[in-house]
Amino acid sequence: MIKFWNRRLHEGKVTEDVHLEKELDAIKKEIKDRVKKKFAGSLAIRMVDSGSCNACEAECNALANPYYDLERLGIYFVASPRHADVMLLSGVMTFNMTPHVKDAYEQIPAPKWVISLGDCPMMKAPFEQTHAINAPVDKHLKIAHHIAGCPPSPLEIMQGLLEFLGKI
Amino acid sequence: MRFIARYAKELKNHFEVITIYDSEVQREVVSLENPSMKTLAKRHPAAVWFERKIQDDFGIKFSDAYDKRPLVHQERFAKDIHPMRKSFTQKSIQEEEYIPYKYEEISGDGVFQVAVGPIHAGIIEPGHFQFSQAGEEMLHLEVRHFYKHRGIEKMLEGKTLFDAKAIIERISGNESIAYQICLRDIMLQSSKQELSQNLQKRHALFLELERTIHHLTDLGFIPNDAGFGAAMSFASKLAEDTRRKFQELSGHRFGFGAVDFSIDLIDRVSFLEWLDKLQKDVDFFEDWIMDVPSLWDRFDTTGILPLKKAVKYDTVGVVARASGISVDRRINSFYLKHGFEMASEISGDVAARFKIRLQEVNNSILMMRNFLDENVEEFKLDTLNDGEFFSFCESSIGELFMSIEIKDGVIERFFVRDPSFINWQAVHLMMRSDIIADFPLINKSCDLSYAGNDL
Repeated sequence: MIKFWNRRLHEGKVTEDVHLEKELDAIKKEIKDRVKKKFAGSLAIRMVDSGSCNACEAECNALANPYYDLERLGIYFVASPRHADVMLLSGVMTFNMTPHVKDAYEQIPAPKWVISLGDCPMMKAPFEQTHAINAPVDKHLKIAHHIAGCPPSPLEIMQGLLEFLGKI
Repeated sequence: MRFIARYAKELKNHFEVITIYDSEVQREVVSLENPSMKTLAKRHPAAVWFERKIQDDFGIKFSDAYDKRPLVHQERFAKDIHPMRKSFTQKSIQEEEYIPYKYEEISGDGVFQVAVGPIHAGIIEPGHFQFSQAGEEMLHLEVRHFYKHRGIEKMLEGKTLFDAKAIIERISGNESIAYQICLRDIMLQSSKQELSQNLQKRHALFLELERTIHHLTDLGFIPNDAGFGAAMSFASKLAEDTRRKFQELSGHRFGFGAVDFSIDLIDRVSFLEWLDKLQKDVDFFEDWIMDVPSLWDRFDTTGILPLKKAVKYDTVGVVARASGISVDRRINSFYLKHGFEMASEISGDVAARFKIRLQEVNNSILMMRNFLDENVEEFKLDTLNDGEFFSFCESSIGELFMSIEIKDGVIERFFVRDPSFINWQAVHLMMRSDIIADFPLINKSCDLSYAGNDL
């Protein structure tokens, strides 16, 4: 572990892409302000996958890496819908997942919002209707905001969350 | 003989059930009127899921099978429908009466059941795990999936290979390049052409880049599940760097649409510089992480899959190589010429799977240097011919198998076996001497795909 701390001490903060970092900083500041105002500084998100290819999940996981570090802004991905304000829903709403998604939604205390993530929930991805798919998702739940992309990059997810915060 | 896959297709007058082994292909004829056949699961336990899937998809019964429960068709699924039959054309089905699924359970004094999922605590895909517990000890685990079943096989029927490409590359986001390479090979077989060395190298470069991203992500997540968050911060930064590089080279953060028949120029100098930097960071990571005793205390002897079991269940990929099986689709002259060395461990535990990933990242970086080329090239694909084609590719999880039958220029039957489909069936064997708190760690050390498994 000493090697690790030595390296941190000697290298300090490294900025790899100055242009992107500036853009990120501006978004981060705005998100933090709005979360503070509208959600008392803490916005809890329950991520539910209803049949995606796992790319949307990978990008949400990337939001926790040191570049984006969403938790610093007061946005948390929580373990239970009962702790959540918002459900972030990805995937094509498969037949087998539909009852479980509805269950999870019921468990979220009001007021609550659903944000759809990626092209799948709106059936805009290349996937086509089959017997096993129940999309579009707005047939089943009221969607407060949609974040488009296949998959949306971490930056686009942050921009989408910012738009959502401006909407409500 | 290593068992690879078993699947069915409907012909004009009968069903054909095809069984793929590493050295041969067996075909059996099953009648349409009274479809029934013998199970293979007594010799190859991993055939169980294949057969249960065939039973759901086609209605073929396995008369002597010990497990006849539905697999893909869950509690509310319409009964007595077989979606892969050609006569089935419905685009939606109604929820029907809820019939509880009978889990494999161990019962007895003080033994209790723990149900986990389908929606999990973290940001991961949905799947269900049912544990029979005696206190903290896991007596048995049943893995139950197919919550993400999208009907991909049915969706692709009647499409040309070109129309199907966008869907095939999105079957499993973490293995997109591997799926695209399998499709590429099938296209080439169908047009009876050989790919130029340059294009092969470019696609192999993308595949190794994809593998590096996937492994780096896991190298962070595995220690994180053992409570060592610092590794996650470090490795997730490297994974993000690599993903950005992937976007720069392929035009997409996950490489969707990257494998085609043209080569764009790569800035050789800056890419080599970037590889040097990545290698330096990986070296630092390895040096640091190998020296954290409390972490290895959790990794060593946790989740052991013994060689004998790994062979019996026909496992592939990282899981198999960590248990001492030498199975890797990259053992061929093309890869060996470019510096491929198969990763290998024998202890079969979480530690072994972690070390395999480290070895493979190092080897991938080495190979990527050798795959760099400065030639610009266009390749023209001839007309595709009808026929049945098989292809294999080593994805970041393991051996991927794809089979496409083309008839009148469109897909008649599409079948793909993700490495996860085999390996998931071996996960319950890893729980023999561990407590339930170790399960997330063991599961993450295999890092199998749910989307590729469920289709």
